[in-house]
Amino acid sequence: MSEIDTTLDYKFGAQTLFALRHTGEICGSNGLPLTPKSIGILGKSQILKTFKHASLATYLDFIRGKHERLLIVSEFKKQNLKSRLYENKSSVIKIAHQVLKALAYLNSNGIVHRALCAENILLDEKGDVKLFNYGLYHMTNNGLDVEFPIGSVKYMAPEVLVSVLNKNYISGPKVDVWSLGIILMEIIFKTELWPKLKLSQCLRKVLSLIYCDDVLSRFARESDKMQIYQEMDSDLKNFLESCLQVNPKNRSIPEELLKHKIFEGVTEMQFINDFEEENNNGHPLNLWQLHELYYLWQLAGGDVHSELKRNGLIKTKPPILSVPSLILLEGMSFGHIKDPACMLDLKVVPLSLDALTARLKHINFNIYYPLIETKLHLINDLENSDKELENLPLIIRERDTEYQLHRIVLYKRLLQGYPYTRRRIYHEAIKDIPPIFRGEIWAALLDVKGDIENEYIAIDKETPIPTDRQIEVDIPRCHQYNELLSSKRGHLKLKRILKAWVVNSQQYVYWQGLDSLCAPFLCLNFNNEARAFASFSAFIPKYLHNFFLKDNSAVIKEYLAKFFHLMAYHDPILAKHLQEINFIPELFAIPWFLTMFSHVFPLHKIFHLWDKLLLGDSSYPLFIGLAILEQLRDTLLQSGFNECILLFSDLPEVDIERCVTISSNLYFDTPRSITFRKFQLNSSTDKLPYTLTEDMMSEIQKELNPRLDVVDFLELVNSRDTRSNVLVVDARSNSEFGEKSVAGSINIPYESIDFKNDISSGIPSSPELSVLINNKGKMIIIIGQTASEAAKFCSFLTNAEFSKVCFLNGGIDVLLSSGILTQVNSY
Amino acid sequence: MSNRTVSQRPNGQNQGKICQFKLVLLGESAVGKSSLVLRFVKGQFHEFQESTIGAAFLTQTVCLDDTTVKFEIWDTAGQERYHSLAPMYYRGAQAAIVVYDITNQDTFGRAKTWVKELQRQASPNIVIALAGNKTDLANKRSVEYEEASQYAEENALLFMETSAKTAMNVNDIFLAIAKKLPKNDGNVGNGLTSPGSRRLGDADGGSRMSSGCCK
Repeated sequence: MSEIDTTLDYKFGAQTLFALRHTGEICGSNGLPLTPKSIGILGKSQILKTFKHASLATYLDFIRGKHERLLIVSEFKKQNLKSRLYENKSSVIKIAHQVLKALAYLNSNGIVHRALCAENILLDEKGDVKLFNYGLYHMTNNGLDVEFPIGSVKYMAPEVLVSVLNKNYISGPKVDVWSLGIILMEIIFKTELWPKLKLSQCLRKVLSLIYCDDVLSRFARESDKMQIYQEMDSDLKNFLESCLQVNPKNRSIPEELLKHKIFEGVTEMQFINDFEEENNNGHPLNLWQLHELYYLWQLAGGDVHSELKRNGLIKTKPPILSVPSLILLEGMSFGHIKDPACMLDLKVVPLSLDALTARLKHINFNIYYPLIETKLHLINDLENSDKELENLPLIIRERDTEYQLHRIVLYKRLLQGYPYTRRRIYHEAIKDIPPIFRGEIWAALLDVKGDIENEYIAIDKETPIPTDRQIEVDIPRCHQYNELLSSKRGHLKLKRILKAWVVNSQQYVYWQGLDSLCAPFLCLNFNNEARAFASFSAFIPKYLHNFFLKDNSAVIKEYLAKFFHLMAYHDPILAKHLQEINFIPELFAIPWFLTMFSHVFPLHKIFHLWDKLLLGDSSYPLFIGLAILEQLRDTLLQSGFNECILLFSDLPEVDIERCVTISSNLYFDTPRSITFRKFQLNSSTDKLPYTLTEDMMSEIQKELNPRLDVVDFLELVNSRDTRSNVLVVDARSNSEFGEKSVAGSINIPYESIDFKNDISSGIPSSPELSVLINNKGKMIIIIGQTASEAAKFCSFLTNAEFSKVCFLNGGIDVLLSSGILTQVNSY
Repeated sequence: MSNRTVSQRPNGQNQGKICQFKLVLLGESAVGKSSLVLRFVKGQFHEFQESTIGAAFLTQTVCLDDTTVKFEIWDTAGQERYHSLAPMYYRGAQAAIVVYDITNQDTFGRAKTWVKELQRQASPNIVIALAGNKTDLANKRSVEYEEASQYAEENALLFMETSAKTAMNVNDIFLAIAKKLPKNDGNVGNGLTSPGSRRLGDADGGSRMSSGCCK
């Protein structure tokens, strides 16, 4: 095998520009501050990242800097057409064809290049075209959000210059055709157009063409290339002439031009995708999608901002030199006006991959080709360093280049195999979810599949509905610290998804809070509304079944009652305290559960929280609630009603990783039937054969302690692992106990208990109770004569600060056929 | 249960009595209820104040001559759907501020509905104030001052136009309420009213809640 090249080709570059600044008025007519133009650009530019075309340089990232600066990262090649102006005819046709293909693709996505020039036609190693800077006009809102003109004058179509003062003018696809004509002409005439003219002279030149009938021959004459002109192939001449039509009406659009005669016989360029195995001698990362590579580059310490700084594209001036000389009360400022010419720097800084290469040098190439289905454990054993990494805190793992490399490699494979790999995806997600694929993985965990694209398209998101007003007032205050969500594009998308949901789920209505609930999905799938919608729509029935009914009070009441049951079960001291000060969950937990915490935490915390939430069932959020209380426990226990409620109105910092750990510990430490709810979504497949039925629920809500179903009871009592941690207390009379009882259970007749006696001090009033005290910490299951007696016994124990107290639903009768009852003769 | 809070005197307030009052804010969503409270309690204004779900609770103390008045403020969710929760918050309240947005006629209509509901359902002696918020947007006004003022007069409401953004009349409206509230001995150090609980089966909960302080 030949030597493997361990270096990475250099792949992407960065450039920077400034957005137009708002002057004067700081607030719009709605009283809200005007959204900075750079945010607008950021929102509009996202879609560009989705464009994948062989002849387009892929956009990778848009970053907002200080003072309305924007950094743009995109695929980049050092060669461009400008440096290779003298080509032969066949390559002219090839270039024209590829550029037109790319333009037609952009047009079909509603985009016009507008800045087409020789410098913006990059050429790769094989001489194939990569169109560059094609998103500038689109992302800047047709040039309105920046101070500089888009495009270079020499190549501009005359109608663009004529319309300069017309604010409503928007360039169409034909302006690019003109520019292409000029570029090709330069190549064919082997000369640069007007090399010595100043900008103003160029302007005049272009405008002078307005009354010209035959642009091509005029150029030939002016540049002294009549010979070439006359010898030119007639098809090519015809092609150029149709590009260089002064009146746009007579000019073709790229799509039409592709059918031109000169392209007959041009072989379709093979669409090389990034997975092509052609150069498999190179570094495996060369075959990666660029955005994945860029992501790793950042993890390995790559910083676009500092690269630009190092190359002099970002200069920092001392603040004293950049503050205005005078500011009026209305916000107008004077002095230090920025020259519009310096608002855009066309220079591109190539971003070196050296650091990343060095970082990954020692990595065995085998890891790039994981074996998913076979002997995975063997491979994992080889990667000991990986194992160590797994135990590091999540925050560190997420920033570790190597670890993320492993995860990306693995998940890429798994996601390609979805939905068949869903179980593996779930299994891996228990460890963690790599941020780069979070949107996709969440969708997989939520079982989103099928033709979501068309399903989403089919929903009417435009017709006004009565809910519009509410959605419209909620969106401008939903997670607005996030740049994408605060952009106009973001608002629009969020509105569309929410409307689609309201229209699509007729039994439900829009509740405030749904906006927050939708935000994480939109944020992760900003360029894939359909997936955001599908994930959002799958999330709600799974975790918030019936929460958004017009009248949801019964659902919420039951949920909060369960929350209190769990609190009593796991933390009787806190439950007792909160009950005493009358601090009921209704007062603080509604926004928690109604929005699955998305209204209480910032997005970066929600991501980590939901990473785990999505692995659990609909009861899992209850445990997250408990875990939050756990972090505030000490304060709560020392506080009265007012202090408690104040604490929750302005929730202190919550450590999410700890919250996740504790909630999952509690989750696994709780028998399933304890969290059983009437309103949970019970699909027919996983319906449990519980004796707990829906009509008991109103009774259950009044109780303070949870009921345990016989299914769980038998499992706990029959399993050796759990048996020793369970204490079964039979509260029936001595004689009944003697007749039949659970083996190993103890008998404390209900009548014998002095309910006024507080045994929390540890002094038992009877020998039976002393057994309980000695077994404190074990799970205590009460079997009562009646449910109300058992419930009272339970709450007596909770008050005495016994944890894990519950009672068997249905009492001794449900055990009659189980075969675990024995006769005790000693009585 | 009754010993849960002993109101604390702010520094330097050694004489005079302390009264506590429960005050609730009601009104259509996005009229600025939370912003008014935030301005009054913390002197802040957040342009992108997030929507309130359920309710939020804050306290603030104001001094009136020799009396210290402590407001326990329940800031409620505005959306109509959360209406069913509202009684939990206004039950036992001694004061209410009903807020509307002067640039939006519908919110004024909703404010009237709230006033009616309070007059019918809340404690009989409740002091109700009407606040026309967002006066900083006066150029987009659609509810005239006179219209609202006349309505307030007919219904014996305190009335002010406010702006949480510029702080105009924000403290004033709370002070006006504080002045109007009866400050008999019943309030001193015992103004606590927590929303009641049905589920906790607290037998005396209901009576304590409605007992209030102003009789």
